[in-house]
Amino acid sequence: MKRIILVGKPNSGKSLLFNQLTGLRQKVANFPGVTVELKSGKFEQYQLVDFPGAYSMSSLTRDEEIAVEKINQALLDEDTALIICNLDATRLQSSLMFGMQMQAMAHRYGKPMVFALNMIDEMTRFGHQIDMDELSRDLGAPVFAISAKTLQGIAEFKTGVLALAEQASIAVNAAETAALPPLDYSEQVKQSRLLAAKYGMQSTVVLKNQNTIDSFLLSNISGGIAFLLVMFLLFQSIFTFATPLMDGVENLIGLTATFVTDLTGPGMLADFLNDAIFGGLGSFLVFVPQIMVLTLIIGMLEDSGYLARAALICHRPLSYFGLSGRSFIPYLSAHACAIPAIMAARTIESPRKRLITMLTIPLMSCSARLPVYALLVAVLIPDTTYFGGLINLQGTAFFGLYFFGILTALMVSLVLSGSKLNDDTKSDMPFILELPTYRLPHWKPLIHRVMSSAKQFVYRAGPIIFMVSLGIWVLGYFPTGSGGLQNSYLGIIGHWIEPLFTPLGLDWRYGVAILMSFLAREVFVGALGTLFGIDGADENIAGLAANIQADGLTFGAGMGILLFYVVALQCVATVATLKAETGSTKLITALVIGYGVLAYILAALCAQLL
Amino acid sequence: MMTLWDASGGQTVMVTGIDAGVDLSVSGRLREMGLDDGHHVFCLRRGPFEGTLVVAIADCVYSLEQKIAKKIQVKLL
Ligand SMILES: Nc1nc2c(ncn2[C@@H]2O[C@H](COP(=O)(O)OP(=O)(O)OP(=O)(O)O)[C@@H](O)[C@H]2O)c(=O)[nH]1
Ligand SMILES: [Mg+2]
Repeated sequence: MKRIILVGKPNSGKSLLFNQLTGLRQKVANFPGVTVELKSGKFEQYQLVDFPGAYSMSSLTRDEEIAVEKINQALLDEDTALIICNLDATRLQSSLMFGMQMQAMAHRYGKPMVFALNMIDEMTRFGHQIDMDELSRDLGAPVFAISAKTLQGIAEFKTGVLALAEQASIAVNAAETAALPPLDYSEQVKQSRLLAAKYGMQSTVVLKNQNTIDSFLLSNISGGIAFLLVMFLLFQSIFTFATPLMDGVENLIGLTATFVTDLTGPGMLADFLNDAIFGGLGSFLVFVPQIMVLTLIIGMLEDSGYLARAALICHRPLSYFGLSGRSFIPYLSAHACAIPAIMAARTIESPRKRLITMLTIPLMSCSARLPVYALLVAVLIPDTTYFGGLINLQGTAFFGLYFFGILTALMVSLVLSGSKLNDDTKSDMPFILELPTYRLPHWKPLIHRVMSSAKQFVYRAGPIIFMVSLGIWVLGYFPTGSGGLQNSYLGIIGHWIEPLFTPLGLDWRYGVAILMSFLAREVFVGALGTLFGIDGADENIAGLAANIQADGLTFGAGMGILLFYVVALQCVATVATLKAETGSTKLITALVIGYGVLAYILAALCAQLL
Repeated sequence: MMTLWDASGGQTVMVTGIDAGVDLSVSGRLREMGLDDGHHVFCLRRGPFEGTLVVAIADCVYSLEQKIAKKIQVKLL
């Protein structure tokens, strides 16, 4: 298939444009370095490829390096029909700095190129205008004024691009009559500045809003306070905002369970439905609202433009631990899922800091850990509130767990940065980060993202939990039937693994749940739900936390489980991503063992000391 | 010799050079960004914790860490 490639400066709206042209939903966010690998989709009869952003053809970060490498490949590839170079209309100079370099290369390899002058909506809001015909003449290439957000000019852009791509596949040199792009590097730099001066907006106008907000958010005192506040609210709200929704889901599952088991009447089927389906799978579905709230808040932060500020605020403190301010963004997104976060570490300027960031990302509490945290916090911590409900003890405990993960990551980073790991010559690339304009969240994609996070959460872990619940139920129910868990097949296997968990103050049921959760962390909750379902002859289905409390889990052992889940690297997909990104199986194997041993020791200490 | 790091919030300075010790790929990037001889830079502020400097260059705002800001020579305007 013939290909059209979409390149340009970081944060200039390439991915949003890509989404509009292909109908796909690649990640769009308001900070440079969102796209870190090539993504392709179908645009009419062409394959459209979205590139990571680059400021220049000489790359500094890994994501830029990938962009430049792949651009070079695309230039040599005869299937490349057209290059779309995306420009941010409000930041012409920096957009053209890359644009002119790209144009020269396209010319050298005889590839046709068009410019998409994106964000035209913002430019018009500032009251600025650009004579498109003249700009096009000066650039010697077609220019389309568009807004990927409001879709202004998109229809014309589509027809124009398709026509050009079509033409290009017949005769390569479509731009013969046009002015030649400057081929000499210093000419390109000069030309981009000249054109920006002629057509671009006054920087004082463009930067006014963001500088006003920054004077508050980046000042010494208010900036620091705002940062801590944002972080605290983020973690607190996962708990506070989600609780009413979770109660709703829990009640709904309880009602359905009663309704369904009333229909079936007592017997083995009712036992199975109660224990494995409503007890196992149901206790996991309760956490969907929490995942959604988390995604919503991270998404709002990403869209706002604040993350780049947070990164710069964190730069100095993080440097003490051998990390970069840029590590902040992957760390934050790792609280949703470690895998995209490990990829996002590609934007970190120094390979060494990037490696340390990647290796410590699994210590951030991803959403798969939420069910375990929420369940055990509800079991162990009283539901007390202070300051008229503003501060909630359980919420604070939650925050404490997240914080413990971050703290452990910093400690591990400190140790790693003192080691001889990856001494590359490029190791001390400096921290340079562009601060984007503040923007309001783009609501439609955000809501879509929230919904799809819920869907993914269910689809990913749901089937595994179902299978595990089923397996546990069968092994735990037979040969003795309801209530005979200790003497069931599972009980026999369980007693065999129990010694491993005795130092943690846990009996075999928790042992089974922990071992099964190596398939997916959420399984812990489903497995325990099923086990307590078989065990408890009562009809208390939804109240797994209450069941565990009644069963007498000690505080120390419970905290031990929590710390175990904070530290242990139990996710197969994360391990695979780490291996691919670091290229070292040995290193990652050592990491998994290291975190496992640390988790076990912490859990044992908790059980013995608390 | 004044460096970019010495500039305080609200000052406009002119770049006079970049330390020869800076990696070529980095100094090239800095020049492309507009930290090029004779160009003007508006210093907005130091970030919290003194770790970074926030500057407006042409149509962008960048934050630079101390280590690199100290290697850019400037003249007060
Ligand atoms: N107002 C406005 N905002 C836009 C437009 N296009 C993109 N944006 C916003 O600009 C930001 C960056 O958009 P992306 O599509 O992620 O930019 P990108 O070029 O793919 O960025 P990288 O992947 O980091 O290189 C997001 O906050 C978008 O919502 C536009 O036409 N108008
Ligand atoms: Mg992108």
